[in-house]
Amino acid sequence: MNTALWFRKVGGRLRDLLWSRRAQQAKMIVLGRSLSDGLLAKLILYVLLSIVAYLYLQPLLYMISTALKNVSDLLDPTVKWIPRQVTWDNLSKALKGLQYPDALRNTAVLSISCSLVQVLVCAMTGYALARLAVPFKGLLTALVILTFLIPPQIVIIPLYVIFSKLGLLNTPFVFLIPALFGQGLKAGLFILIFRQFFRAQPASLEEAAKLDGASVVRLFFGIMLPLARSACLVVFLFSFIWYWNMYYEPSMFLAKSFTPLSIRLDGLDDVLNPSLLGNTKIVKNPITEGTKMAAAFLIILPPIIVFMFLQRWFVSGIERTGIVE
Amino acid sequence: MKSSADDAKRQARLFQLKRYGTGLAFMLPWIVGFCLFVAIPIGWSIFMSFNQVKVVPGGFKYDWQGFRNFRDAFLKDNVFPIELITYFQEMLLMVPIIVIFALLIALMLNQRFPGRFLYRALFFLPVIFATGQVLSELFVQGAGDIPFLDQYNLEPLVTQYVGGEFAKTVMGVLGRVVLILWYSGVQILIFIAGFQTISPTIYEAVRIDGASPWDSFWKITLPACVPFISLNVLYTIIDLFTFPLNPVLKHIKDNMFKVETGYGYSSALAWIYFGFVFVLIALVLWLFDRSMKTRRVRS
Repeated sequence: MNTALWFRKVGGRLRDLLWSRRAQQAKMIVLGRSLSDGLLAKLILYVLLSIVAYLYLQPLLYMISTALKNVSDLLDPTVKWIPRQVTWDNLSKALKGLQYPDALRNTAVLSISCSLVQVLVCAMTGYALARLAVPFKGLLTALVILTFLIPPQIVIIPLYVIFSKLGLLNTPFVFLIPALFGQGLKAGLFILIFRQFFRAQPASLEEAAKLDGASVVRLFFGIMLPLARSACLVVFLFSFIWYWNMYYEPSMFLAKSFTPLSIRLDGLDDVLNPSLLGNTKIVKNPITEGTKMAAAFLIILPPIIVFMFLQRWFVSGIERTGIVE
Repeated sequence: MKSSADDAKRQARLFQLKRYGTGLAFMLPWIVGFCLFVAIPIGWSIFMSFNQVKVVPGGFKYDWQGFRNFRDAFLKDNVFPIELITYFQEMLLMVPIIVIFALLIALMLNQRFPGRFLYRALFFLPVIFATGQVLSELFVQGAGDIPFLDQYNLEPLVTQYVGGEFAKTVMGVLGRVVLILWYSGVQILIFIAGFQTISPTIYEAVRIDGASPWDSFWKITLPACVPFISLNVLYTIIDLFTFPLNPVLKHIKDNMFKVETGYGYSSALAWIYFGFVFVLIALVLWLFDRSMKTRRVRS
């Protein structure tokens, strides 16, 4: 009897405490008004995102840690993340094996020039498809989508023959000229992005400019292209990264000279130990592993730096472009 | 009277021509490029797939085969059909994983919290790394494992529930799941951009009507995202299609330089492969188109 009374009393107190104004405020802070603005929700959000971020970063960390290990650390299974002794040997070997300054220049020239050209040509084509009168517009748009779908493997041999007839093989023009004609890397996708962007612009702008007597060319370069700055940035960055990373095409077209970094990485094994020539490709070789990881790190370093500088504008640019409508 | 009508007609035609002229001028580089670098190679490659192609000094020698290359791919080749089927199984697993993962991450990144831009940058980083060579280097070293796979001994469990042959595929996909998730950078961006098209007033309205966040996700966010989901599914399929470690592509490339098969046979293989993926893409487009239509009818 007595204990029951006591329980009721305590229960009443607890209820009072729970419904008091303070408690409500505390609850508001912890749980929030809607799902996303409570402390608890934020905590869960951070934890989940951090776990995934760790999974994302793990291969990168692996790359760096392996690049700094010497051979005995690599062979020792007890050494997992932090090498016993940091060695810069791999890095210098990779620098030499890749012929880094030379290859870096090649890759940079190739990706920057091709991307710039591609931005301009794709913007023009996209503008024509979005706003200008073009015969068979539907068919042409379908063909643009087709160019995006066709895998390079299907057409690589005919292209090789065409390029060798034109005398473009093993020069940067093998990528620059297709880009000039709107057939660069994933150009179909970029044309569609521009088309989408220009279609979303209000038509009154063009009408006003036309009434003022501006020609189409002037209208495009004076008004529409500057308007499309964010789309241009997005396309340029994507294009830059994809040109930087491309592997299949240059392995065919630039095998002998003007070799970019990605191809040099492939040939690194042969450079490091010429005695094993041939069958060293897909084998895990602990002796060269560190050097390879160092080389891989050196390859992705420049785009990371570029991206770090442009990241803010990039993400907001994608949101503003309305790429996906 | 007649002449003036003719005149007007001619003038109209001239005007039309002039209008087409500027449009065509803008399109011209692309059209020339398309003929030179897409149409001719495609036609050539189709032609080669019906031939036995031999490299002789000064060019190619063609030997008409009809459909023999295509028949051989399924009847004589004991690697190609198996690899094709295995890869399609893997693809059917990988596409949903990538798209759902991207959707979840995009949802989280769309919330407002301090340090958001840092996380956003982080989740785009994979696009930079996902290069053919760096990626395959990492695969070879086994950097893509998730630790819990060995720790909890998942393999017998998977074999028990999924059974035999398919279990191998599942384990293969699970074993590289991190690197597969690396392929979701672009998809996350597309979803984030897609969320911006949903007006915040709708969320406000349903909240006043008493909907929980859970409801508003299923009733508003998800339906509004259907076009972006379909876009992402298509993008993922195309992206995986040219995945650097794709065994089918490797087989095609190997056959290219074999003496007895050569370019003709490898082009036939490539077209078969493309045909399969094209059917898959068409199917996805059709499904999403239908779901959009029924939704429109219902509303």
